[in-house]
Amino acid sequence: MASNIEQSPFFQRRKDQGDIVVKDAPKFDLESYIANYAGFTRIERLRHIGSHSPYLAVDAYRLAIAEAKRGKNVALYMGLLEEFSQMAPQDAAAVLDMAWAEKKTRETQQEQDKLEHELKSYKNNLIKESIRMGNEDLGHFFFDTGDYVSAQKAYQKMRENCTSPKHLADMTLRLVYTSIASHSWSAVPTNLAKTEATQLRGEERAKLEPIVSVCHGLTQMVAGSWREAATHFLATSPAYLTAEPVGNIAWQKEILSGNDVAVYGGLCALATMDRTELQNKVLGNSDFRNFLELEPHIRRAISLFCNSKYSACLEVLEGYRNDYLLDVYLSEHDQLSNMYNRIRSKSIVQYFIPFSCVTLDELAAKFPPAEGSTIVGDLVKMIDHGTLDARIDLVDRLLISPPTNPRHNVHADALAMAETYDHTLRLRLTRLNLQAAGMEIKSDKASEKASSHTGDGFSSNMRNLGSKIGF
Amino acid sequence: MSAELVSLLLQFQPDSPQLKTRLDYDRAARNFVSQVSNISASHWSKGADTPQDVLTILNPAINTIAYAFALRHRIHALLDKKHVRDVLQPGGELWNKLVLFLETSDPVQLRYVGKEWRTLVENTEQIAQLCDTPCLAIAPIRSAMTRLDPTTGTFTSTHINFIQLCMQTRSYAAAEPILDNYIYALPTKIPHIVREDLEYSVVCADVASSGEYIHQCSYHSNKVSLVDVQQYYVLGAMAYLGVRQFKKAQQFLEHVLVVPTSNTANGLMLEAYKKWVLVSCLVAGRPVSTPRTANGNAMKTIKSASKAYEALAEAYEELDNMPKLKAQIKFGAETWAEDGNTGLVTELLNSQMRTYVSQLSRTFSAIPVSNMANNVGANTEEIAQYLDTLIKDGHLNARLEQTDKSSVGEVLRFYLDPTQGPLAKSEKQQQQALFEQTLRTNTLAEQVKDADYRLTLTKEYVENQKRLNKRQGPGADTMDTTWDDSIDAEEDIMVDMH
Repeated sequence: MASNIEQSPFFQRRKDQGDIVVKDAPKFDLESYIANYAGFTRIERLRHIGSHSPYLAVDAYRLAIAEAKRGKNVALYMGLLEEFSQMAPQDAAAVLDMAWAEKKTRETQQEQDKLEHELKSYKNNLIKESIRMGNEDLGHFFFDTGDYVSAQKAYQKMRENCTSPKHLADMTLRLVYTSIASHSWSAVPTNLAKTEATQLRGEERAKLEPIVSVCHGLTQMVAGSWREAATHFLATSPAYLTAEPVGNIAWQKEILSGNDVAVYGGLCALATMDRTELQNKVLGNSDFRNFLELEPHIRRAISLFCNSKYSACLEVLEGYRNDYLLDVYLSEHDQLSNMYNRIRSKSIVQYFIPFSCVTLDELAAKFPPAEGSTIVGDLVKMIDHGTLDARIDLVDRLLISPPTNPRHNVHADALAMAETYDHTLRLRLTRLNLQAAGMEIKSDKASEKASSHTGDGFSSNMRNLGSKIGF
Repeated sequence: MSAELVSLLLQFQPDSPQLKTRLDYDRAARNFVSQVSNISASHWSKGADTPQDVLTILNPAINTIAYAFALRHRIHALLDKKHVRDVLQPGGELWNKLVLFLETSDPVQLRYVGKEWRTLVENTEQIAQLCDTPCLAIAPIRSAMTRLDPTTGTFTSTHINFIQLCMQTRSYAAAEPILDNYIYALPTKIPHIVREDLEYSVVCADVASSGEYIHQCSYHSNKVSLVDVQQYYVLGAMAYLGVRQFKKAQQFLEHVLVVPTSNTANGLMLEAYKKWVLVSCLVAGRPVSTPRTANGNAMKTIKSASKAYEALAEAYEELDNMPKLKAQIKFGAETWAEDGNTGLVTELLNSQMRTYVSQLSRTFSAIPVSNMANNVGANTEEIAQYLDTLIKDGHLNARLEQTDKSSVGEVLRFYLDPTQGPLAKSEKQQQQALFEQTLRTNTLAEQVKDADYRLTLTKEYVENQKRLNKRQGPGADTMDTTWDDSIDAEEDIMVDMH
């Protein structure tokens, strides 16, 4: 079955385009995995898994199509069906339910008309609260139909009719939610900042905080700033796991689950922090421990790294590579392989520190290079980037730590610096002398003007000259 | 008459006991110059070619002032626009006297005869040009310049003539001694109140900088303009390129880029920038940023006009894609030829391989020559030979060795420790270099101080100070007010004297 799916035109095209196709079965169980999620992210994740893993494709698409049929987003349904019919045309779920689609389109149109009409009447009545709710309903409706741009606009219109900080916070959270759903990452931080700026106090505020830090973390991670992302994830309070819905959104179900926070936070930290930092900020972090308990292998990978067992750490991570490739955010822009590469090169650097010389074969055995690259190629890249201070001996196949001679280096540096300063000072003195002598390149305009009034210019020059000399 | 003349000319004896103080010396010298300049042209030619000839009686090293006038008048009388008399031709009697004068004259007396000195230097070039042997003028002019000012650090019109002459005759190495001296001053206007009647700043005093006796009223130099200065630096950079001193050439070109401007650039700047982009690649192995002092708008203008060169620099940096540079060079061949930079561009191509090899030393400690040959697509023996020349020319701190493994063949092994290998510097050498640098820096500090001093003499500065004092009102710093007062007092005294 799976091989049939893999040969289907859909996956063939993906392969041709160079997109990721995960051939092997992942470790997780689709049913229980997807049970963690609700809302838009459920279909999004199912679709992502379905389109990346031939193994799970059929199940994932069936679930996704059934889910879509319950919603109002007709375009999404059509899209899913088209993709699915390309991989399993004989499947019962692959048959387009045109009647439903037409009926749904009509219904949504009617609902939209109704909502807009209601909003208009609210506006005529000039009752702020009603207008706000009308806009909110319209926003929800657009969101459900997948029109994120209109949803964003509708939510933004709530702004002037918000009467309490709670309303404001809810509105901005909705905006954050919509931005994440539409993957417009640049809008997330601005809306988050607005959320933070609302004047909520006490309990309400405490509820907000974990959500803000998780969303910050996610945005930074997608943008590739792993270090900042790790900081945000690590600072997330465990209250996130059990928090009640805020702004009518169950964040831990509709955006990121606790497991996701553990995986993202753990990986980002592994990729950017050194051993002591990992020990203190991740393993020793009592808040984050609650998350790590959900994903014990991440915890294990981090402790292995801290205990200098780099190859074991990489092995653990490698074992979960397929799972993470099926994650909707980790697989974006090659995030995961970049992250893994970073962790690997960090491990090599850490591994090499106590040695003055290591054979390349030993390194290759400890850190097996990825497909299509060699250990030498990887090392060359790392040295060129400046992450690894070493030299390669291609003849004896060794990695050598270069001898250092601080005294010589200090002398050489001092000399180079003095020469640069010397030259800079000379340049400035030249400039100063020229300025003092009144020499300057004048713009063309000025010279044209001067030439048109040569007579004037000349006599005034002479006058200037005279006054300068002191007559 | 002739005897009278001689006795008049011998009147000024620089080491006579009456001229002990500099002030006396200065007065005597100035009086003497004004006396001698009043002698009419006909008097000078009397007694020529006889034993009574003033040029034989006078010693150029002692009676420099008188000799300068005598020589100038004599040459002036003989010099013709079209052809040169035998005595004036290089090797002739008068030419030899001229050269002797330029090489042995007394530096202090030369300060008083700026106009004569300049004319004689110009005549030297003129004669050499007329005789179609311009290179014969280089050495005398150079010694004349160092004679007047051992540092040659004050820019004069002679500088620009000299470098033009060197470029014309392609004697790049001959220009080096002058080019190596940093230009730390331009001829400025120095108020004569500071120049006269002060024991420590009269013209003949042992001054710190030649800028104090070569100024706009001393006539050692024609009027120089900004373009002259720029031209000097561009031509100087080209001379340095001629002797393959790329680093110095780059620094010279930077002097052109930093000239003050009201947000525009001129052609010389553009030309300098084009060359600078290429030379920077040769020096640093990659494009570098322009000096910070350069005007931002001007840089933008010339950058947009030299896109081709920047593309070249970019291609140069891509060491893993060598054919790109070749393609770029081929594509822009006309541009380089038009700008006269074909030679530099070829040099760029040659040096790319060198940069590639020296970059390897940052990554590898040893690499089989055959590997490199594969990477650049060339023959192993050729590469080995090339590496050998690189090592011999001092571009690489490495050695070629044979390995016992037959499959590997020849190996390039870099020295990892900077204190080993053919390019290693011992601590003593380093210390020496640091010591020399300290000396240079100290000299430079003196020159900066001197420039600062000259700035305080400008009218603008004095006016600004006056304004500041006025604003502070009474009770302000008394030192400065007395300084202002003293100027007025001095001026009053002068009025009385005249």
